[in-house]
Amino acid sequence: MSGASDIAARSGRIRLKIGLRDMGTLLGLLLICVVFASLSDFFLTERNLVNILQQSSINACVAIGMTLVIISGGIDLSVGPTAALTAVVSASMIVGGYPVALAIVVALAIGMACGLGNGLLVAYGGLQPFIVTLGTLSLYRALALIYTGGNPILGVPSSFRVLFQTQVWIFPMPIVVVAVLGILAWVLLAKTPIGEYILAVGGNEEASRVSGVPIARTKISAYVISGGLAALGALILVARLGAAEPTLGNLWELEAIAASAIGGASLMGGKGSIVGTVLGAIVLGAMRNGLTLLNVQAFYQLLATGIIIIAAMLIDRLTRGRE
Amino acid sequence: MSPTGHTDAGTAGGAIPRLSMRGIGKAFPGVQALRNVSFNVARGEVHALIGENGAGKSSLLKVLSGVYRADAGDIRVDGKLVDAASPKAARMQGIALIHQELQQVPHLDVAQNMFLGMPLTHGGVFTDKTQMRARASTALASLDPSIDVTAPIRTLRVAQRQIVEIARALLSDARVIAMDEPTSSLTPREFERLTEVIATLAARGVGVIYVSHKLEEVYRVCTRATVLRDGALVGVVDLANTTEDMLVGMMVGRTIEARAHHGHAGTERVLEISGLGRGHAVRGVSFALHRGEVLGIAGLVGAGRTELVRLIAGVDRADSGTVSLHGRPIRSASPREAIGHGIALLPEERKRDGIVPLRSIVSNMALPAFQRWSRFGLVRTQALRQRVREMTERVGLRPPDIDRPIRLFSGGNQQKAILGRWLMADAGILMFDEPTRGIDVGAKADIYRLIEDLVQQGKSVIVVSSELPEIMRLSDRVLVMWRGEMAGILERADMNESAIMHLAVSGGRPQ
Repeated sequence: MSGASDIAARSGRIRLKIGLRDMGTLLGLLLICVVFASLSDFFLTERNLVNILQQSSINACVAIGMTLVIISGGIDLSVGPTAALTAVVSASMIVGGYPVALAIVVALAIGMACGLGNGLLVAYGGLQPFIVTLGTLSLYRALALIYTGGNPILGVPSSFRVLFQTQVWIFPMPIVVVAVLGILAWVLLAKTPIGEYILAVGGNEEASRVSGVPIARTKISAYVISGGLAALGALILVARLGAAEPTLGNLWELEAIAASAIGGASLMGGKGSIVGTVLGAIVLGAMRNGLTLLNVQAFYQLLATGIIIIAAMLIDRLTRGRE
Repeated sequence: MSPTGHTDAGTAGGAIPRLSMRGIGKAFPGVQALRNVSFNVARGEVHALIGENGAGKSSLLKVLSGVYRADAGDIRVDGKLVDAASPKAARMQGIALIHQELQQVPHLDVAQNMFLGMPLTHGGVFTDKTQMRARASTALASLDPSIDVTAPIRTLRVAQRQIVEIARALLSDARVIAMDEPTSSLTPREFERLTEVIATLAARGVGVIYVSHKLEEVYRVCTRATVLRDGALVGVVDLANTTEDMLVGMMVGRTIEARAHHGHAGTERVLEISGLGRGHAVRGVSFALHRGEVLGIAGLVGAGRTELVRLIAGVDRADSGTVSLHGRPIRSASPREAIGHGIALLPEERKRDGIVPLRSIVSNMALPAFQRWSRFGLVRTQALRQRVREMTERVGLRPPDIDRPIRLFSGGNQQKAILGRWLMADAGILMFDEPTRGIDVGAKADIYRLIEDLVQQGKSVIVVSSELPEIMRLSDRVLVMWRGEMAGILERADMNESAIMHLAVSGGRPQ
């Protein structure tokens, strides 16, 4: 009897411990908010907080996919160009009078196809994920530029833009979409076989193989999800801007990697948190928002972002102890 | 340190030996690797160091070459006390070890490799390539003049690279050169060349230590042999008046521990292997595994035992032969397919091939079974955890905390968790590769008990092991591998340690 309750208590503590890293990210976020709130009266207003979430939503969306890829032991540097390609194709379809629903389906399909390309090359080509996606980073960008001749596609009608401009209670649609996605991704990672496989493959690929985990399928799934989420990020951006440029999505990959890392993902693979990643994206968004409110130059914002990333990693390293 | 009570390994003519190790002891947590071992090599002598896997040969060499620090005893070269505090210190004091896996930098040239870590320089700043190449050439001249000192080391064959290592030892004025399994990747012709090189070394008065499993080579190359067993000295013999059987007897001659073997083997052939092969590692192996049987696989390191079970488990792909399950041929192109047929491997390298260290016991144990435990794409967590708890109870996992990351468990408990994994996956054929390596005595007994439980339930088990007592205790039959081939299968009635060792050492060929 007492033995059983002891086990329950221990497992409860372990589960709490897993959430500890996310608590750390949350603490960091709160700290940043306290600092900016003391420096700017406007920072803590409802409007600004919703703003921060909205500004973070695209990065959070891309970063969720990135986190899955990173946990599987890979990296996806091609998310920006994937977004650009899907943006220009879907925008030109909508401008050309195709049904909005069809354009959205095509956009997501292109994004997932881009991810499939990465996944196949990683799983069957025997190439390093960094190299594969470095190559497709150029390749997908080139396709976007060739498709548009380098020109932006303007005049996306409001029939599409309104989709992401409606609100649920006080929250604009992008926030709601990304929140739902976050929950789905969390369920995927914590409650499904494929989530277990992603964690196992990233944690020890050879042991996973010997244990019968379908390695190729697992890796490909992660890249396909990443590509699909990059496409969704592109749709949100096109709706916001009303235009699609073939150069959009520049440096999205670094923003997404930063959010994942701040959220506790290990670039060695096998470790990472969806909650942490979303919080990490909000940390970066809150930093930028706060510094803009304080009229800090963009150069210094970049400096602050760099410091945040390195500080987060150092704190992570120091508090984790030896492993 | 008082001298050992064992046979006094005296030296020829009473002269001071080239190398004398006295009363060497070395313990690791849970294992006494060396116990009061003494070892002497005379000037210009080629001396064999032999014993079974795990007898302590490697440990003794590592103590000699400064990799390990001995807990007790002393080492003298030419009567002078040596302080082998590090590999470099040992080398400076005249002791060189030629590793089985040559430790060279592939893209550097021969001369650079020979002066690795102690380059000649102009005034301590710039490397003096001319001087290094000249001295490298001189050192190589007497051993193998055909080697070009400016060639990158990767362009040389293994045999030549070995000679470069020996020349490197001569450069540092080595008086004792130890060779660990030097012929493991040499052709017969290259072996002849090596014997000439060794003769040259001996003629120069170097004391040569020759470690090898291949007794016919030992007889060719060496004059005396020191035999170790279980970390202790068994004796020193003159090879001229010692037969191979006597040597094998000294190597394995331990008393077999009291045990009761209860066979559960049936007659139904569960698994049939026919002509299975992959490259040179495994060639034309055929055997049948019965229901409820424990088949031991013995052999020396590198004989192809691990490679064989990896083929059956689909971890590596066979290039010839067939595997049949219950009389029907099956194809296992991946572990996933083999597991689908109920064939599971518990690998030797648990850290590398067995566990996902950061993940919990639940995640590790359920890894092959997650899909079976899912409904509508979601894992049925409660039911799964219940099942994992039952399995951990059955295998006796300590502590029984299923949410704890597996890396925090001891080796024995990790092995139990992996066994639990295959019980959950309902595997009918379990292949254990070195099931108790790195596992403490208590857990070892648990693993044996679990294996006996498995066959009692009608499952079939293959146990690959380097420990003969383990093979003897568990197996209904034992298959002995020799250089990638099957040297023979011994029935339980014919099973004894010297019969197994004889097959493992000579492949059952007449001497």
